[in-house]
Amino acid sequence: MKTTPFFSFSALALLFGLSAGCASSTLATDVREVDDVFKARNRRDLAVSVPDEEDWEKTAAEVPKLLAKPLDADAAVRIALAHNRDLRAAFYEIGIARGQFVQAGLLPNPEIEFELRRSTDPAQPLQADIGLEYDISALLLIPLRKGVAEAELSAERLRVAGEVLDTAYRARTAFYTVQARRQELDLRARALTAFQAGYAAAEELNRAGNIPDVDLATQRAAVESARIDVAEAENLLLDARESLNATLGLSGEQTRWTVEAPLADPSTEALPTEQLEKRAVEASFELAELEARMQVSSRRVGLARTEGNLPHLSGGFHGEHDGFSWELGGHVTVGLPVFNRNQGRVISARSELGAQRERYAATATALRATVRSALNRVESTGRRAQHYRQVVLPAREKALAETLLQYNAMQVSVFQVLDSQRQVTQTGMAYVETLLAYWNARAALDQIIAGRHRGLGLGPAGASGTSMPSGGGGSAEAVH
Amino acid sequence: MDRRKFVQFGVAAGGALLANSALGQQKPGAQGPARPAPKRAVFPGGQVAVTTPNGVTLPLKEKDGVKIGHLVAMPIKHTFAPGLEGDCWGYNGRTPGPTIEVVEGDRVRFYVTNKLPEPTTVHWHGVILPNGMDGVAGLNQRVIKTGETFVYEFTFNHPGTFMYHPHFDEMTQMALGMMGMIVVHPKRPKGPPVDRDFVLMTHEWRIEPGARRPDPNEMTDFNVLTFNSKAFPGTDPLVVGRGERVRIRFGNLSAMDHHPIHFHGLTFELTGTDGGEIPAAQRHPETTVLVPVGSTRVIEFVPNEPGDWAMHCHMTHHVMNQMGHGMPVMVGANAQKIDAKVQGLLPGYMTMGHAGMGDMAEMGMPVPKNSIPMVGGPGPFGSIDMGGMFTILKVRDNPDTADPKGWYQHPKGTVADRADEALMKADGIDPDAKFG
Ligand SMILES: [Cu+2]
Repeated sequence: MKTTPFFSFSALALLFGLSAGCASSTLATDVREVDDVFKARNRRDLAVSVPDEEDWEKTAAEVPKLLAKPLDADAAVRIALAHNRDLRAAFYEIGIARGQFVQAGLLPNPEIEFELRRSTDPAQPLQADIGLEYDISALLLIPLRKGVAEAELSAERLRVAGEVLDTAYRARTAFYTVQARRQELDLRARALTAFQAGYAAAEELNRAGNIPDVDLATQRAAVESARIDVAEAENLLLDARESLNATLGLSGEQTRWTVEAPLADPSTEALPTEQLEKRAVEASFELAELEARMQVSSRRVGLARTEGNLPHLSGGFHGEHDGFSWELGGHVTVGLPVFNRNQGRVISARSELGAQRERYAATATALRATVRSALNRVESTGRRAQHYRQVVLPAREKALAETLLQYNAMQVSVFQVLDSQRQVTQTGMAYVETLLAYWNARAALDQIIAGRHRGLGLGPAGASGTSMPSGGGGSAEAVH
Repeated sequence: MDRRKFVQFGVAAGGALLANSALGQQKPGAQGPARPAPKRAVFPGGQVAVTTPNGVTLPLKEKDGVKIGHLVAMPIKHTFAPGLEGDCWGYNGRTPGPTIEVVEGDRVRFYVTNKLPEPTTVHWHGVILPNGMDGVAGLNQRVIKTGETFVYEFTFNHPGTFMYHPHFDEMTQMALGMMGMIVVHPKRPKGPPVDRDFVLMTHEWRIEPGARRPDPNEMTDFNVLTFNSKAFPGTDPLVVGRGERVRIRFGNLSAMDHHPIHFHGLTFELTGTDGGEIPAAQRHPETTVLVPVGSTRVIEFVPNEPGDWAMHCHMTHHVMNQMGHGMPVMVGANAQKIDAKVQGLLPGYMTMGHAGMGDMAEMGMPVPKNSIPMVGGPGPFGSIDMGGMFTILKVRDNPDTADPKGWYQHPKGTVADRADEALMKADGIDPDAKFG
C-alpha cells in the first residue's frame, strides 16, 4: 500500500499522455480500419478517404477530375465515397464508440483529501490529515467495461463499413436512374417528333381539303399530350440528377456533370450463382454487426453480473499529523451486495441478447430470401432485356419497315406509318425500363454479395412501367 | 372426226348460210382480205374450238358413246400476274379449271376427285340435268369428302355457255379460285359461224399485299380483279383477225360484283346468256356488256379497225392491282411539308399520291414481297397504268402469224401527239385560256 500513491500518479500521467495522443489520430485509425475490412475482402475500390479534421471543408482532389469527364457508374461511386458527407459523418461516429472504448479503459481516479484542523486549545498543534481514497471495484471492472466498449466499437465499425457499401450502391443505382431517365427523355422526344410529323401531315391534308377538322384536332391533341409526356420526362430526369447530386454530395458548380453513355446492354458474363446464399451470409455486414452487438450484450450481462455480485470495494490510505508525528493507516470499505445485485440490469442485458439472437436468425432468413429474389430478378430482367434487344425491337423495326412497304403500296396512311414508328419508340422505352431494372438488380445482387442486403430498391417485378405515349392508340384510327 | 360429226358439219354449214341471210348479216370477211377457212374447226358445222386465254380445255376420252373427263379439286399455286403468286384452290392444277367443251347431246361422265382439305361438290351452273347430278351438297348429293372420287353422269341437252363451281362452302371455295367454264356447242349451229371463240371467266379476289392466300371472308374490298384468274399485265391478249367474226363468252363467279366489260374500237351484239340464245330480233349493238354475278354473257362482233384495243371492266377500281382503300386522299397536298417532318424519323419515307396516282407503278418504290400494288404493264408509248380486269384485243390482218406480244404499228399521222404551235395558232387555240 505504501507505494501505491506514487505508482498511481505516474500511471495517471502516462495515461493522460496516451489519451491525448489518441484523441487526434482516431479518425485516421477508424478510416484505416474500415478500409482494412474491405482490403481483406479484396474490395479496394471501396477505399474511403476522409480528410483530417482541419481539412474537413476541402474537396478531395479526385472529385473535380471525375466530374470534368462524362460520368460513369464507377466514377459516381468514387465521388460518393470521397465526397458524401453522411458517410464522413459515419466515420466520425466510429470516433464516438472509440471514445467510449478509451473511456472504459481509464483507471478510476484516486481521491486525495487534505484536512487541517486547529484545536481551540492553543497548546494543541495544527493538525493535518491526508487521505487517499481509491475505488477498487471500478478498477477491477475495467477489463469487463473495456470488453463491452470494444465490442461496441467493432459493431460500429461494421455498421459504417455497411454504410460505405450503401453509399456506393446508392450512387450506382442513382446513376443508372439518370441514364434511364435521359434515354426515356430522348425517346419521348422522338415520340413527340412522330406526333408532330403526323400533325404536319394532317395540317397539310386538311388544308388540301382531304381530311376533316376532326382528324386534324385529333392529331393536334396527340401532339400536345406528347408534349406533356416530354415535360414529365424532363422533370423525371431532373429529379434523378438531383437524387444523384445528393448521393454524391454535390452542389453548386459541381452539379454540372454530364452523362453520355446509355445504359449498357445486359452483361453476357455468367452470374456467380455458386453458393450464393452461403457467400452472402458470410459477407453480411448486417449479420456481423448483429453478432458484434450480441457480443456487446453478452459482455454486458457479464459486466452486470460481476458488478452486481462483486462487493463494492474501495480502499484508502490515511495519514494524520498531530504536530509531532504522522499516524499512518489504511482502510477498506466493502459494500455488501445484499439487496442490489444488479438483477434488473442483468435481466435487461439478457433480454437484449435474446432479442438480438432472434434478430440475427430473422436477418439471416431475410438475407437468404433477398439473395434469391435478387438473383431471380437479375435473371428475369436480363432475359427480358435480351429478349427486347434481340427479338422485340427487331420485330418492331421489321413491322415498321413492312408498314413503310405497305405505305409504299398505298395500303396504309402516313399516320399508320408514324404509329408503327411510335411502337418502335414505345418498345425502346420498355427496353430501357427493363434494362434499368436489370442493372438495379445487378447492383443489388453485388451489394448483397458484398455484405449488405437492407434497403435494396428492387422495385416491383415485371413492371416495365412505361405508358404509351399519350394520344398514341386511337390517333391513327381517327384519320383512317 | 367421225361420221356423225361429218354429217353434222354438213348440215350446220348449210344452216349457217341460211342463218346469215336470215339475220341479214354480212358474210364474215366480206370487208376484209380473203382468208382460208378456220383451221380449228373441229365441232359440228365448222365450229371452232374455244380458246381459253391463259387457260386450257379439259381433255375428254370417248368410250362407248360417253365422253369421260376427270376433275381434281386441289390446292394450287397460281400466278395472278408477274410478282403476285397466290395459294389458291382450283381444278387440275389451275384456276380457272379447264374449260369443258362438248357438243349438244353429248353424254358425259365426269369423275371428280377431292384433294382439298374439306368436302366439295361440283355444280354444273346453267346446265339442265337430272336433279341428282346438280351438285348442291346436302340437297342433291352427299358431299365428296377429302380423298373421295365421285362420278357425275348426264347429257348436255342444251347448247350454250355455262359454268361449273363447287356447291359446298362456295364462299370459301370460289373465293380461292374454284370455277370453270362450260361450252356446249350446238349440234346444228345457227347464224354466221365464228372464226374465233374465247372464254373469259371474270373473278374478284382479296389478297393483302404481301400475303399469298385470297381472303374468302372479304365482302366488299376486293383488290385483285381477273380474267381467267389473271390480272393485267398477266392477261394474255386476244389476237383476232380484222373482219373475222369473234365470239367471247364471259362468265362471272365473283363474290359480289357484276362487271361491265367495255370494248374499244368495235361494237358487238349480245347473242346469248346461260339461259340460252338471244333471238336475233332482240340483239342490238353495244360497247359494254354487263356480266352479272352468277351469269354468262356471250357476245359476237366483227372488228374492222386494226390496232391494239383496250378491253376491260369499266369499274375503275376493277382495273387497279391491289389498290388500298383505307387511306386519306393525298391529292393536292404539299409533299415537302410532310416529307420534311417524317423523313427525320423515317429516311425511307416519301409522300405519294399528292399529284394523283397515275405514276405510282413507275416510281419503283419498294413494296411488300409478293405484291403488285398499282402495277401496270408496259405499252408501246409508255407504261399502261391499268391492272386487274384489263386485257388487249389485238386486231390484226394476219392474226395467225402475228406476234401476240407485238404492238400495232400505227400508220404515220394516226397517233395523237403534242399539238403543233402554228396549228394551234391557226385554229385559234389558246392553251392559257382562262375559265371562270
Ligand atoms: Cu368489274
